[in-house]
Amino acid sequence: MATTTGVLARPTSYSGVWSWLTTVDHKRIGVLYGATAFIFLLIAGLEAGVLRAQLARPNSTIVDGQTFNAMFTMHATTMIFMAIMPMSVAFFNFVVPLAIGARDVAFPRLNAFSYWVFLFGALLMHTSFLVGQIPDAGWFSYANLTSRTFSPEAGLDFWAIGLLVMGASSVAGALNFTVTIINMRAPGMSLWRMPVFIWMTLLTSILLVLAFPVITVGLIELTMDRNFGTNFFNTSAGGDPVLWQHLFWVFGHPEVYILILPAMGIVSEILPTFSKKPLFGYPVVIFSGIVIAIMGWAVWSHHMFTVGLGPVANSVFTITTMLIAVPTGVKIFNWIGTMWGGSLEFKTPMLFAIGFIALFIVGGLSGVSHAVSPSDFQQQDTYYIVAHIHYVLFGGSIFGIFAGIYYWFPKLTNRMLGEGLGKWHFWLMFIGMNITFFPMHFAGLDGMPRRIYTYPVGYGWEVYNLLSSLGYVLLFVGFVMFVHNIFHSLKKGQVAGHDPWDAPTLEWSISSPPPEYNFAEIPHVRGLDHYWIVKREARAAGQPVPGPEPHAAPGSVHMPSPSYWPLVTAFGVVWIGGGMLIDVGWDYIKFPISFVGGLIAFIGVVGWANEPASAPDAHHGGHEAGHGAAH
Amino acid sequence: MAHAETAHHAEATTTGLNHRKLLMWIFLGSDCMLFGALIATYMVYRGQSIVGPYPVDILNIPVTTISTFVLLCSSFAMVQALAATNRNNQRGIKIWLLATALLGFTFLGFQVYEFYTFSVVEGLFIGTNLFGSTFFTLTGFHGAHVTLGVVWLVSLFIVAFKGRLGPSTALDVELAGLYWHFVDIVWIVIFTLVYLIGGYDAGPVAAGVLTGPIPSVLPV
Amino acid sequence: MGFLPFRSRNVTDGTPGSFRQVSRPGLSRVPPLALLAAMAVLALLVACSPQSNMSTWETFGPVARGQLHLFNVLLWVMVVVFVLVEGILLYAIIRYRRRPGQPLPHQTHGNMPLEIAWTIIPTILVLAVGGWSVATLFRLDQPPASAGKPLEVVVTGHQWWWEFEYPDADGAGKVISTANELRVPVNRPINITLHSDDVIHSFWVPKLAGKMDVIPTRSNKMWFQADATGTYYGQCAELCGVIHALMKFRVQVLTNAEYDTWVAGYGKAPQLSADALKGQAVFQGAGTCTVCHTASGVDNPAVVDGRVAGFNSGGAIAPGPNLTDLATRTSFAAGTVEPLNPDNLRKWINNPNDLKPSTHMAGRAKALYPDGSTKVTLSDVQVSDLVAYLMSLK
Repeated sequence: MATTTGVLARPTSYSGVWSWLTTVDHKRIGVLYGATAFIFLLIAGLEAGVLRAQLARPNSTIVDGQTFNAMFTMHATTMIFMAIMPMSVAFFNFVVPLAIGARDVAFPRLNAFSYWVFLFGALLMHTSFLVGQIPDAGWFSYANLTSRTFSPEAGLDFWAIGLLVMGASSVAGALNFTVTIINMRAPGMSLWRMPVFIWMTLLTSILLVLAFPVITVGLIELTMDRNFGTNFFNTSAGGDPVLWQHLFWVFGHPEVYILILPAMGIVSEILPTFSKKPLFGYPVVIFSGIVIAIMGWAVWSHHMFTVGLGPVANSVFTITTMLIAVPTGVKIFNWIGTMWGGSLEFKTPMLFAIGFIALFIVGGLSGVSHAVSPSDFQQQDTYYIVAHIHYVLFGGSIFGIFAGIYYWFPKLTNRMLGEGLGKWHFWLMFIGMNITFFPMHFAGLDGMPRRIYTYPVGYGWEVYNLLSSLGYVLLFVGFVMFVHNIFHSLKKGQVAGHDPWDAPTLEWSISSPPPEYNFAEIPHVRGLDHYWIVKREARAAGQPVPGPEPHAAPGSVHMPSPSYWPLVTAFGVVWIGGGMLIDVGWDYIKFPISFVGGLIAFIGVVGWANEPASAPDAHHGGHEAGHGAAH
Repeated sequence: MAHAETAHHAEATTTGLNHRKLLMWIFLGSDCMLFGALIATYMVYRGQSIVGPYPVDILNIPVTTISTFVLLCSSFAMVQALAATNRNNQRGIKIWLLATALLGFTFLGFQVYEFYTFSVVEGLFIGTNLFGSTFFTLTGFHGAHVTLGVVWLVSLFIVAFKGRLGPSTALDVELAGLYWHFVDIVWIVIFTLVYLIGGYDAGPVAAGVLTGPIPSVLPV
Repeated sequence: MGFLPFRSRNVTDGTPGSFRQVSRPGLSRVPPLALLAAMAVLALLVACSPQSNMSTWETFGPVARGQLHLFNVLLWVMVVVFVLVEGILLYAIIRYRRRPGQPLPHQTHGNMPLEIAWTIIPTILVLAVGGWSVATLFRLDQPPASAGKPLEVVVTGHQWWWEFEYPDADGAGKVISTANELRVPVNRPINITLHSDDVIHSFWVPKLAGKMDVIPTRSNKMWFQADATGTYYGQCAELCGVIHALMKFRVQVLTNAEYDTWVAGYGKAPQLSADALKGQAVFQGAGTCTVCHTASGVDNPAVVDGRVAGFNSGGAIAPGPNLTDLATRTSFAAGTVEPLNPDNLRKWINNPNDLKPSTHMAGRAKALYPDGSTKVTLSDVQVSDLVAYLMSLK
């Protein structure tokens, strides 16, 4: 039927490159997110390699200060915004609809749009490498080092506009998941029957929706200062560089929890599965997450203890920051409580989950030591802090992410990741991580500041830095093994079956890989750990353990159809940002170029609004296309 | 044949709320944070400009009061448009949607006039001082929201003209309404803080020339 | 135990929960042993590591001592909690590992009294530490009145060096301006006021006090007091541009007599040899050193403002260190070149970037360093004279 509107005929292919470009299937988008994020993870890891090579010996001249600053800026920016966050979003995409018993997310095309905006935004920021003007003011980019006066090159424009674009993607994605989780749960799945990972996704999404606008305002002010001559951070006009710090950290601290809560959710799924025991204190773990998500807004100034806000402000933020350690500790106790009395099976996902706990304890404890502001006056901006953040983000988030990859890979591909290689990978990472980051505590306490590209002999920092650089080699080997494991297992991995771990959640009750529509019949959820209940009842009754339901007849389940419009709209949106970065010596050219991007985005939105979510087909007749321009 | 749900059908949702309506509410929460940060920037820099023109020199409160009234009226028209949609009053839908859009457009006209007067006539540009930077950014972002709203309302008007709006598609109007009322409420906050409370701000606090009724909110 | 890569392989027959472990003989414990060995080596290295110039473990003043004291106690709390929690974790890992033929474990869902206990106890613990740190925070905020009259010093951070100004160095109103080596008397509180004319820096002398940021438009205050004479090392701790790593300084803590001698001698006309006199002419020549530097006491504020404004608008000028007492210093180039001797000075003048990359001296002084990196446009004789002059600035 030729009722589709707009200039582009509806895409129809369900395989090949075009099917990936136009897909609205949450599982495929999850794969796109995961693959993209992993490539950026590797890029950021190589950038860290430059840093570790330079710092391995004192007075090293492998790179100069400029390159070093660019490398640590892009290492952190890439890790946070282009690796860990999108990797979490990959899990949200793949797992959330499956685990709540839904067929897709609430807004499939918005979901595709989020991915394309993220990809184009990340590429836009990395264009700075091609023009040789790489962002170099740190991932926090404190004003007023970022002003045109002190950073005349375009690197920071790439940084600010790239982050603005990726922020739009994050907010769109987070809105989508919030609605999906609140509104699309299978019958019977009350909030208190939601898996912990879903809870953490919900909390993360809410944090994203509320935190990103704040950094958006900061980035807009920075961009305007640099390009339109405004005075927000212009000290000679009375602008206050500390305002940037407040805007940045009001976003930046919730961001820390945006990075760690998904990993905590993953670990909370894996521990019960491999302990054969429900999560200990499920409501307490959820409440701890909620308390963390709320208190995360009240601790931002602990990044600013040395700014000179005065003892009163520092006292308040000392106390709030120390208190936020309590719910975090409670989570750890509950995880250990889950293992206590269980029947622990040390598969690779479990190893990474336990590694997460072991390493997060270290990061949490060192966190308390600089929550105490007088002690932080010595630790702020030293390698002690570098050690801390890597224990929580590498030992925490990345270990959690790896646990999740090993855990859900069989569901995605119907293949197991190799256990032997997996264990090698785990031990290399665990040992390499401790050799890399543990000495940094000592370097920091011996007075080594962060972000220095060189250091002289005789300060006692040589040994620690050499160890850190050696540890990097182990981590590198670990990553190589992991990549090999992925490719090897995709082809030759053991066939997994639909439920290789005897897991408790809904996604394991359907076939691997799941059919496009996920559930032929939407399940009725009978409790927390629904699939355990079902399987154990069957076993107790001596009946066969229920496997995946038979596939639905073709055409009987009506799914959203692929669409070009998210791709077109995303392209237009990113073009708007890219236009602002055009530098041919005549500033006004930026506006018409950006305007073209706006036009493309507008066409995309109009096409999108006029296209029904599902193409009308023979089975279904032409249903009304009249939903408005809301999304 | 089983009519399984897809994302955009009128399906039963867990909460009973429509997906799009829920999305709009959460988005408005997000937008609150955006304006919160913009307004916070304005308030932090109140009375901190080193050179003029200062708010007391150029803000024209009577004129802006009129434009505020116009915007408030547009909210009333929006309510009427939704009511007409729910009653399937086709003529009412068109009239009230058009009225809302025109009132919004009038508000934008006031803003263009204001920006023109402040810059070309009074010499306050975006880079002149902190007041210029914060004022134009804050009100400019609000203006951009209003512009988007007007485009949305006009689109709905076109749809209405084809006779495609009615009780079954009332949600399309309701979503535009939610957005429109939000933009309106934000303006009330801006008007109160920037014009009514901050309208008498003069030079830097440090020089002791602040004449406004309330001192700067943050100690420096 | 199944967590090692060598021990077992997995078999599945495709039915749910069908993974079994098949044990293989020849258990290898290499990874945990390697980890233990690595930790042991690390501990050994820590024990043997040389004394550090910037160690926060060695304190020489009440502020740093108070901060370290708090950290030391915290450290023990951390160690106890670490051993306890990781110990319980390790115990659970070993004790509750799956054994062949094990039935489904008891399905506990939680234990409310336990939850309450492990919420309340940490809360009390952190509140106790928090209360103590707040007390420390306020105690260390100001020097105690009993410590005597503090010496006021205004510190200005520049890309990438430090300026130290004493509004009243001798108690009789003598103003002193010096750079990169802060001289203070022992056992006397030093009140620091922090300024910046360009970007944010952070003032940090670990052995004397924790850091405080140096922020344009703000005047932060901090204080310290040194218990013993000697040299203390400091460094900028906030990313401030391309050679942030090279923005160092020294604090020279002197006896009262030494300090008084230095203050009294500051700004007196130096004894100049014939060469040095020629060097002085070069120094003061049009478009050379005096564009950015001063060697005759405290700068005129208007001159300073002019340099800052010129620098911030990208001109061929930058605020340069005050060289009045240069020859009394032990290092130069913001503490990165040591010792201060004619050879090093000659190298420095010939091309500063050889000793300290990316300096504003080579980058901005276009008349002397036309393309920013090559040799200075002065002749070798002029450079030698200049060095002679600089070495006589005492």
